[in-house]
Amino acid sequence: MQKVSTPKKSDPAGRAGPPENEVPKNIRMRPYFIIAPGMIILIGIMIPFFMAIFLSFTNYSFKNINWHLVWLKNWIGMFKDAEFYHSLLVTLEYGILATGVQMILGSVIALLLRKNTLFNKILKVLFTFPLMVAPAIAVLIWQLMTSNSVGVLEKFLNLIGVFNFPWASSAKTAMFTAVLIDTWVNLPFVLLLVLAGIQSLPKSPFEAAQVDGAGAWFTFKTLTFPMLKPFMYIALLFRLMAALQEFGIIFALSKGGPGDSLMNMSLTAYMEAFKYSKVGASLPYLLVLWVIINYSAKAIVKRQRALAKQAQGY
Amino acid sequence: MAQIELENITKRYGEKTALDHISLCVRDNEFFVLFGPAGAGKTTLLKTIAGIEFPQEGLVKINGKTVNQVEPMNRNVSMVFENYALYPQLSVYDNIAFPMRSRLYKKDEAYIKSAVDRVTKMLNISNLLDRRPVQLSNGQRQRVAIGRCLVREPNVFLMDEPLAHLDAKLRHFMREELKEMQSSFNTTTIYVTHDYMEAMSLADRIAVLNNGKFEQTGTAHEMYYEPANEFVAKLFGEPEINLFPAEPYEEDGVLKLRAFSKDTSLIPRGDVSAALRENGGKTVDVGIRGADIDFSFENRGDGWVRGSVYACEPIGNKVIVTVTVAETQVRVVAPNSTKAELDSDIYLRFHTEDLLYFDEMTKESIGRSGGKRPAEKTKQAEGVVETWHS
Amino acid sequence: MNQNKRTAGSLLGALGRNVVLIVYALFALFPLIWMVLCSFKSDVQMYNTVFRFTPTLENYRNVLFGTDYFRAFFQNLLVSGVAVVITIVAGVPIAYALARYDFRKKEDVAFTILSFKFAPEILVCLPVFLIFQKIGLYDTYFGLIWVYQLVTMPLVIWVVRGYFEDISVEIEQAAELDGYRWYEIFLKTLVPLIKPGLVAAGLLAFIFAWNDFTFPLILSGFNVQTITITSMRYIASDTVHYGQVAVAATIAVLPEVIVCLFIQKHLVRGLSFGAVKG
Repeated sequence: MQKVSTPKKSDPAGRAGPPENEVPKNIRMRPYFIIAPGMIILIGIMIPFFMAIFLSFTNYSFKNINWHLVWLKNWIGMFKDAEFYHSLLVTLEYGILATGVQMILGSVIALLLRKNTLFNKILKVLFTFPLMVAPAIAVLIWQLMTSNSVGVLEKFLNLIGVFNFPWASSAKTAMFTAVLIDTWVNLPFVLLLVLAGIQSLPKSPFEAAQVDGAGAWFTFKTLTFPMLKPFMYIALLFRLMAALQEFGIIFALSKGGPGDSLMNMSLTAYMEAFKYSKVGASLPYLLVLWVIINYSAKAIVKRQRALAKQAQGY
Repeated sequence: MAQIELENITKRYGEKTALDHISLCVRDNEFFVLFGPAGAGKTTLLKTIAGIEFPQEGLVKINGKTVNQVEPMNRNVSMVFENYALYPQLSVYDNIAFPMRSRLYKKDEAYIKSAVDRVTKMLNISNLLDRRPVQLSNGQRQRVAIGRCLVREPNVFLMDEPLAHLDAKLRHFMREELKEMQSSFNTTTIYVTHDYMEAMSLADRIAVLNNGKFEQTGTAHEMYYEPANEFVAKLFGEPEINLFPAEPYEEDGVLKLRAFSKDTSLIPRGDVSAALRENGGKTVDVGIRGADIDFSFENRGDGWVRGSVYACEPIGNKVIVTVTVAETQVRVVAPNSTKAELDSDIYLRFHTEDLLYFDEMTKESIGRSGGKRPAEKTKQAEGVVETWHS
Repeated sequence: MNQNKRTAGSLLGALGRNVVLIVYALFALFPLIWMVLCSFKSDVQMYNTVFRFTPTLENYRNVLFGTDYFRAFFQNLLVSGVAVVITIVAGVPIAYALARYDFRKKEDVAFTILSFKFAPEILVCLPVFLIFQKIGLYDTYFGLIWVYQLVTMPLVIWVVRGYFEDISVEIEQAAELDGYRWYEIFLKTLVPLIKPGLVAAGLLAFIFAWNDFTFPLILSGFNVQTITITSMRYIASDTVHYGQVAVAATIAVLPEVIVCLFIQKHLVRGLSFGAVKG
């Protein structure tokens, strides 16, 4: 009998052989049919991305009709520009601050909610409401709170002798305000994830620790925290990636100001493209941002996978 | 009713070879058991016959017709999956009715009702018709799975460890029911199990599968009395067969075997001596079943081997006495009333006509007395398939 | 003696825990309460009252009937809703393929789809803006719906994939043997089993689309508006009617809060894209 290797279910490159031995054709083709529409959409989304790379090498602008390749001029210009480094700094500062605060506070509150009482369950549902609010709307809500004229916070601060707290109108406090709003919206995300992690932990190691006489802090340090790390890493991943490229909150709050105190890379690119019409020049900002995000994400995912395995005992 | 043939089937999953040039022929109406340890490839074999898995090489034939290209639903086979594969959102009634509502095997509702009633009564689950699988115990789920398999009239029933998750009594009961059902349904059945008692009691023929290859195919009797190699010998029988090395030597023209640190001789029956001599006089592994050993607490003289009692386990209708003889442990089956003190002396005599001989290196059978060489292993790999006339 | 020490300690702990929780509860919920309160305050009362005031529906009347906010609300609904429906129809088969079929680079493809979520939206937005201008999709429903796929597809694919993986493949095989065609198996057997997860993922994707800011900002102008953008105009205008701002916010937030209550069970799984099976 001829030795023929039959193609696997989804391997299209089947070699010819005695036909009776082959996987029937309609079964082989089936996977491709069902994923076709989705793939079209996905590829359609990837096209702009490649365009972006191409355009970053041009001097495309809304002002000129004629545009041509300028090769690395945009890129070199960006790396020479102080504005780039400032935006990089703002991006990192905002990203790390927001993520850090949310991770710590979120985890702490999750730990406080770990018992499955009715009170805790209600709180958990209520706490997820801010998460659903659109960032731009969140800015609106906080402006209602913080407005120097009608805001309730203003009234409370007056009571302790603070008047006209600048919130988003001063460069010194703008970052604080933006991070505050970001935290208000996104802390529940960390909270939910860590809480889910806590509730999925197996009971037996903890029961054993109790029998062995381990104290609360010791149990936390050696059991709870390591087992929660994979969950915290997932929260970290999502939050950091989002905070690094945050656009909506900052734009709605102050359009990047006052001055350039909140001009992170997303915002700078936007201004470059739409205020100064220099589309080609704006793209390198975004591409650098994308590289930072992509590779940080890969690193975090890798670490998370290793931690998850460790937590299970491998 | 159908005859199922596999010709030279090879199935690989990536690097791992699940089935290695398997050939098989199951006769029409036969109750054929696939037996072997976990991971041997039994489930893969069933799925290949059903058409759920596609082999890299080889042909699957039903009633002589090659069906490799035929989709599972057109092969008219019915299967019980090891983990039941019940439809979680359907009731027990709908689960069992499901095969009869598909376009291909459509039957009207009246027929469906009578079929479901018949089957559920037989399986003793008629009071569970409205429940969902999640509300049933394992044993009940298994019976629903069996029920779903039995409502059709397929070419062949494929059953993958259908009784595995039932408790011992229920398993025993179901075994008898299945055998009864199969003979009245007149349908070819291929049945997978790793329980040797199930295999021996249900099968017309058994095939032992190990690492994707057949070790031996034959009747239960052949498996037990004429195992093709040590692996098969160890699979059947409780307690496990005793195996120990022995060295042949000649004395006065008679071939004898030295065993147990050289101070015991066993004299094989004359008809096996030839085979042993043909083996080149090398050390062999001798096998003897616990039931073929006599024992006594007093030395009865020649032919009795001395040992000491290591353990004594009463298991209901018999007692298994484990005896240490010169660093080897021998398990002996003793009657119910036997009491043996640990570390006391005990004397064993082996029924030499029941000794099995295996090549020490290849572990394959050399022979046993009674004259017959063991049946040759089913021919494979060269693509020669035994054909049976129905 | 020891007993007392322990009870004292745990009492203190319980007190501390409750204090922290109450503080956070205030932080999280008070802004929303304040928003609703303000929506019922007339312009005059905004300045000189805090909690005690006479509620009025004037703001609601102004916003709902006096502006095009209502229209923006429905446009948002339409665009987000259709986007999610398309995502489900096109994305569920991909989720299935990723769950069941095995091919080289499968995980790479899956991760690439996930990485769409992390890509800066503006990065995609700018070229898309240019393309849309060229082919006339700027400021159209179709254009926005297409682009929203970037936000909704990764979510639906990853979450639904998880639900498919939870179904043992043998159920499909059993249905095959029982004589059903593959699309019948898909619709009759698989879809009912993933329905809760699919609904949750779909609703969550709806919220993501509803909340999106960047795409509507850049890619739509007058024809198609979403309320996220429209709301912004309220602050930017000269005379700020805070009451109306509050109404805008309340209306924007209401659907999401309601949806949130329905998908609580699957929320964690959805938000983490299937990584955490809450």
